[in-house]
Amino acid sequence: MEKVTKDKIKAGLEVFRQLHDSKLLTHLNSCVHCGLCADSCLYYLTMKDERMIPANKVDVVASVYRRYHTLAGRLAPRLVNARELDDATVEEMVDLLFGACTMCGRCVRHCSIGVDIEYVVRMGRKILSDMGYVPASLQATVNAALETGNNMAIPDEEFLDTIEWMEEELQDELEDPQAEIPVNQPGKNVLYTLNPREPKFFPLSISAMAKVFYAAGESWSLSTTMYDVTNYAYFSGNEEHGATIGQRIHEEMEKMQAGKLVLAECGHGYRANRWEAPNYVKKAFPETVSSVELMAAYLREGKITPDKSLTEEVVTLHDPCNLVRGGGIWHEQRYILNRCVQHFEEMSPHGLDNFCCGGGGGQLAMGEYNDRRLKIAEIKAEQIRKTVAKIVATPCHNCVDQLSQINVDFKLNVQIKTIAEIVADSLVIEPKSQK
Amino acid sequence: MPTIEIEGHTFEVDGDGFLANPEIWNDEVAKLIAKYDGIEEMTDKHWDVVKIIRENYEEKGMAPMIRVICKKTGLKLREIYQLFPLGPARGACRVAGLPKPDGCV
Repeated sequence: MEKVTKDKIKAGLEVFRQLHDSKLLTHLNSCVHCGLCADSCLYYLTMKDERMIPANKVDVVASVYRRYHTLAGRLAPRLVNARELDDATVEEMVDLLFGACTMCGRCVRHCSIGVDIEYVVRMGRKILSDMGYVPASLQATVNAALETGNNMAIPDEEFLDTIEWMEEELQDELEDPQAEIPVNQPGKNVLYTLNPREPKFFPLSISAMAKVFYAAGESWSLSTTMYDVTNYAYFSGNEEHGATIGQRIHEEMEKMQAGKLVLAECGHGYRANRWEAPNYVKKAFPETVSSVELMAAYLREGKITPDKSLTEEVVTLHDPCNLVRGGGIWHEQRYILNRCVQHFEEMSPHGLDNFCCGGGGGQLAMGEYNDRRLKIAEIKAEQIRKTVAKIVATPCHNCVDQLSQINVDFKLNVQIKTIAEIVADSLVIEPKSQK
Repeated sequence: MPTIEIEGHTFEVDGDGFLANPEIWNDEVAKLIAKYDGIEEMTDKHWDVVKIIRENYEEKGMAPMIRVICKKTGLKLREIYQLFPLGPARGACRVAGLPKPDGCV
């Protein structure tokens, strides 16, 4: 690790000063160390390392605050467990806040006094980010987005080739040569987004969503300039980067004169764009919904008609933390599954109390902590195994990737699907252009 | 630097098990990594996928789009997922000796 310098300390400590509200200070000063958060945390449950108890993650940030901002901390730091922001503290912060937290927020739900532990972790990451200590692999993903417009550095031409390819597949499936995946068409009702892993490696979810749009008769378009639904700066803690990325979608909405922004199935992408971006860029956003909300609305309004009998296998649902606990959407995906498959079985626990897949908080991008990511996955593997499901549906591409690895490593023998893929599979469509 | 050992051969890897030095890659290394991932035998189809990924990496410094892999091998998308159960990124790119791609993979 690069040595901590005076300039770095100054940059890090600035975080305690520059916040415009008292939230961080309130939450840093409130933990009563009751320990209830311990059993909420994937890391503590699977590794039984006391350092990883969420209260301890709060404490490492609070101890730095005490050292520089309280009288006792300045005069007698050891007596009040106040710590210098030195090499040892920074190393500990990186290890706990980046390396042992998926920012799933489950501990926040269980906290006896409501400390927003996840927020404290995010602010701790901001301190580290401002000091230059974001793990290299996570920073590379942020940099790819900043430099190329998408986090996998996909060139426009290759993106368009892939969309064209998926359009041909869609036309074959629907037996309609007019079926399309519209790109760069202004004035549509919906500007749709993607997780770059879809065009890069897993494009079937693109044609699935296009099939749903087709069935619903939606007016929509993608944009080559800005289709990336992710904002990894939310995980790195760098708010300037967060604002740069968040601002792009805002600008694209204006340029494309779209009615509403529809976010692809991506937990943190929903949270970052729907709830955080307006704070990053200090502007109100246009109407922004998750594709899950939109699909549920199509079903409620009768715009699409599913045939349940087409999916006979038992389906269970994994709730992405940032869509459910962090985003407020948990009824819609259940409504969709109950309408589109014959047998839907909840895993336990689920909904607001669900466990993270283990890939959240940027963990999937951070190779540095790969062993831990697969260790904490034991819990999700066991949850899935206890159902009789053959399909695990989840409205998040990041979760899909982690669950796919769990599926192989723990030999679960299930299929992992997005909600759009489940909905698309349930639709029987008469070719429109032949009507 | 973490290492993995496969049949008596030790490789330096990143945290995700991707080769730390992509230049040491050769057919033998590919076979060993594949075996480590449970692919007992590298068929011609496996090799087609791996060679195209490798060529793209050597030429452009990154993994190809799945579109390019399908176009050049003539394989169906679903076939590629079956050949490499861990997927094109964690599966095929790793066997091809690439560094781990960025993003949600």
